[in-house]
Amino acid sequence: MFCPQCGASNADTAAICVQCGRQLQAVVPAAPNQTPGIVLPAGAVTQNYLVFAILATVLCCLPAGIPAIVYAAQVNGKLQAGDLAGARAASENAKMWCWISFGIGLGGVVLWGLLAVIGVVGSLHH
Amino acid sequence: MLKRKHAWLAVMFLLAGTGVVLLRVFDPARSGMFPPCPVHYLTGLYCPGCGSLRAIHALLHGDLRQALAMNALTVILLPFIGYGLALEVFAEVRERPGPGMKLSATSIRVLGMFIVIFGVARNLPLYPFDMLAPRALLHL
Repeated sequence: MFCPQCGASNADTAAICVQCGRQLQAVVPAAPNQTPGIVLPAGAVTQNYLVFAILATVLCCLPAGIPAIVYAAQVNGKLQAGDLAGARAASENAKMWCWISFGIGLGGVVLWGLLAVIGVVGSLHH
Repeated sequence: MLKRKHAWLAVMFLLAGTGVVLLRVFDPARSGMFPPCPVHYLTGLYCPGCGSLRAIHALLHGDLRQALAMNALTVILLPFIGYGLALEVFAEVRERPGPGMKLSATSIRVLGMFIVIFGVARNLPLYPFDMLAPRALLHL
């Protein structure tokens, strides 16, 4: 993390800033999504993973990207309606579907690699 | 001091860079080193992403016509994906959750519908929809 006072780089667990000595841990709990009652600009709080959802859809070649896009839309819709808890839940779902898509895609790549190796080995054998 | 987050970013950049180099050197249509789309492999249907790798390969060789023929959707979305990823990287580096792409819920839904419709249309055996299937435009 960076010290809010002098901007020096500190370990994430540092209690005080190595450069100016400012107390750091008191600053951490004030991170945006843990402070109730403070209205933050929409979008600064909740990630909608839209880019990854689109990437998953067009590059991982998988229908699992579609629910990710649907949940990404829900995140922004709920943020617009002021429903922070709902937006956060939708955000978690968007993230989950991105990972599912990425996981299946990666599994496919690994499987393809294995088949290729077996194929190569098989053709060498004959 | 190298933070774990930044190490992850470096790994991502390395993987992406490797991917770009491999896609520039090898043609996914000919070399067997890129896996086929699992959807097309299992069902014979074209998914909205089918042809993406061939499209990027064509783009890396400056052939826009070939790229559009392989997957027009990917070619159209690539600038947005690049922009969105750049925003994510900046947010990571600045250690502040970024606003991401400021899109309304409606525009994201429209985008999602557009992707689904594109996926359905390119499987229809009807002109002009069948022109959206990978390679179809090249046979005109």
